[in-house]
Amino acid sequence: MNVKWLCGELSLYATKEAGRRSLDDNVGIRRGRRLTAAAALLAGLSAAGLTAGCGAAPAAIGAAASGPAGTASAVGQGAAAGGAGATARTLAASPPPGTITEDGSTLLEPLMEKWAGAYHQQYPGVTVKVAPGGSTKGINDASSGAVDLGTSDAYLSSGDLLKNSSLLNIPLAVSAQSVLYNLPGLAAGTHVRLNGVVLAKMYSGAITTWNDPAIEGLNPGVQIPPVKVAPLHRSTGAGDTFLFTSYLSTQDPAWSKSVGYGTLVAWPAVATAQAASSSTAMYQACAQTAGCVAYNGVSYLGQEQNLGLGEAALQNSDGGYTLPDPASILAELNEFVGITPPTETISMIAGPGAAGYPIINYEYAIVTVRRPGSAKASQLRAFLDWVVGNPAAAGLTSSVGFQPLPAEIQTLSMQQIGEIR
Amino acid sequence: MASTATPPVQAPAPVSRHGGLRAGLAARGTPSLIAGWMAALVLLSLAWGAVAAWAVEQHSSAASSLANADAPYSFDAQQLYLALAHADVTITSAFLADSQPLAPGMSAPSTLAARQQFDSDVTTAGRYLAALKDSSGSPAFTAAVARIVGGLPRYEGHVHDALSQYTQGFIPTGDSFTQVASEDAHLALLPDAKLVYQYENAAVTASKNQATSLPAIVGALLVAVAALAALLRAQRWLTRRTRRVLNPGLVIATVALVISGGWLAVTFGIAGADLSTAIGQGANPAGWLAQASIDVQQARGDSIVNVIARSGSTALPADAASQAASVGPGRGSLLDMAQAAGNAQVTPLADAALSAAPAWYAVNNQGYTFGSQHDYAREQTSVLRTASAGYASVENDIGTALGAAQRTFTSNAAAGASDFGSLEAIVIAASLLMAAASAGGLYRRLREYL
Repeated sequence: MNVKWLCGELSLYATKEAGRRSLDDNVGIRRGRRLTAAAALLAGLSAAGLTAGCGAAPAAIGAAASGPAGTASAVGQGAAAGGAGATARTLAASPPPGTITEDGSTLLEPLMEKWAGAYHQQYPGVTVKVAPGGSTKGINDASSGAVDLGTSDAYLSSGDLLKNSSLLNIPLAVSAQSVLYNLPGLAAGTHVRLNGVVLAKMYSGAITTWNDPAIEGLNPGVQIPPVKVAPLHRSTGAGDTFLFTSYLSTQDPAWSKSVGYGTLVAWPAVATAQAASSSTAMYQACAQTAGCVAYNGVSYLGQEQNLGLGEAALQNSDGGYTLPDPASILAELNEFVGITPPTETISMIAGPGAAGYPIINYEYAIVTVRRPGSAKASQLRAFLDWVVGNPAAAGLTSSVGFQPLPAEIQTLSMQQIGEIR
Repeated sequence: MASTATPPVQAPAPVSRHGGLRAGLAARGTPSLIAGWMAALVLLSLAWGAVAAWAVEQHSSAASSLANADAPYSFDAQQLYLALAHADVTITSAFLADSQPLAPGMSAPSTLAARQQFDSDVTTAGRYLAALKDSSGSPAFTAAVARIVGGLPRYEGHVHDALSQYTQGFIPTGDSFTQVASEDAHLALLPDAKLVYQYENAAVTASKNQATSLPAIVGALLVAVAALAALLRAQRWLTRRTRRVLNPGLVIATVALVISGGWLAVTFGIAGADLSTAIGQGANPAGWLAQASIDVQQARGDSIVNVIARSGSTALPADAASQAASVGPGRGSLLDMAQAAGNAQVTPLADAALSAAPAWYAVNNQGYTFGSQHDYAREQTSVLRTASAGYASVENDIGTALGAAQRTFTSNAAAGASDFGSLEAIVIAASLLMAAASAGGLYRRLREYL
């Protein structure tokens, strides 16, 4: 009776031991199990005596000493998904039919509308619904899954990624931001020169009229009308605000210290200041306000010029003044192509290009890597591949003043698109 | 102790009360019964030796592994995490501070000193990685270590890219590289380092459980009791059957069993006490303090990441509240448990950390509030300047307490492991002696019938 009980205990212990060893196999067996030869001999001898009464117990002990039992530990489960990088893929001849919902950058909206139309023409089964809610909304909606595709003028923040580490920011095109003004009476074809320090003072209320010596000093020989400065900014989170305030922070330490940069900032209280909710509202409000100074993406330049708004030449880090034309955008871009990291998160504000325009940026698609359905992932990959790599899509970028991605950046974007599953 | 050549008495075989084997032996007479006792005692003696040696081996191996492998590896894994976290906090803070204008009265931070500290932290992390890389055969563990090994140079590359941009005066580009580096740390390196720590900690827990578990020793002692009962029964039967008062062989076997069994029980008692102290006042508070230290580093890192974050929204303030609740003060918090562990060296340091933590949390929260109001300048001053002293104080107290807990563990675990000494050899020798003495003693009786 006692022997049977003992055997039962040993069997139970052996079973527990098997479980523990299984954990050991997961956490790593590193201990030398030094069962001496004498003990082993004794075990062998005594096993003969125990076997008759114990039956399965030695087998259980043997099982305990055998290899991994395959039990997964809790800590081991989280790591299984890691390690997958960009993989090669074969694009479907025709993407799965359906609708791709987009929300985000108002700066990108004109181009996104063109892309959506052209893509639908090429693939009638796919519709891209464009909703310009601003970059911040685009990031948030893409992160929450409210839309399939977000767009942003600003790359993802670390906070966005900590909240949702499956997000990617994928450049689709190269943009630039122009600084606008409404100065009645200014000679036609004149581009007022401005720099970050002067703009910071205009936005902080330190410069209140356009004929301030600081502005005139930058524009010798230009007759600037004595109208009040009316700084206009975006009212909601906007990539445009991120780019503009980055430029001001770079050039003006006082601005950097007091306001800084971001998609939303605490704008200084200026009596003549106004706020607009979108890119379209920005130029429309500026057109109605004499003395307005505003910032907006180059994609709206045509409409702005039609309304008689001027476009400033901005001072770059080399001291030169440039307009956001293809040559100056490419000159600036070339300084950043080689150093863009694989995540393509990079600020290209006030870079080193001597002939470059100081406010350029990648226009980003914001997507989550893991999609709930493979068809949706295929749709997204196909559309983004087309946007980044198809000549027809690249040809549309210049129609709104943007530049297509250089080959090196196309490759990085394609690698990121390949991660969408 | 009479043992003479007196002719044996041919007594009639007793009636069997226990059926089967004994009945069969009885039917064949006293010689067969003596042979049966001999076989049973030899087997029980060897079984005692095997089970006791196995139990000793299990416990001493686990105690030794706990003291010399699992706990040191767990410490290495924790230091790996802290080195990486410290590297990130150091370099990110320095870059952000250097890239911004200074508030009046503030002295410029030394990027050179920060870079040297960063390099030192990365070197330290590399050293711990090297120590840990072969510590487990688990594929998931190996993969995590491999990802850190592969990711560390990439992370350093981003930091150097940031430095290069700052040095040339391209602040936003430098900031974006700082962000990329910090994301590498927070999204890849630190989670993998945490995974490595969790694996090592699981190994410590497994060894702790094995070193202090009872079934093996209870099983061994039950075999000893069974062997003792059999020896006494055999002696009694032999006395009745052969009219010898004592059989010297059985006496020797009984004495050997009592001594070795007693030695085993006392040794397990002493080792158990040592290991209990090592675990209760060393390993447990060390584990809580290590986790508290990781949480503190994570909270500090998150607040700095929030300074970099200038777009979108974040969940970091909620994470900070969760980390504060985990670290303490508060019933059942990590510092609370460490403080109550009964380690005289740890308790005052945990108390100090508990006292300093709320003030640091308040400043940290203030930084998040400034950030949510888009008051980036005050957020930066709050996080990089004001909060740094509170963080340093809490982290220093936790780190010192952790060191004290680890010293308590090391000394007591080493004592617990050494308590077993040559016990395994002793029980084996005792069981062999028991088998030989039992067989010898009974054989002398048996020979009288041949």
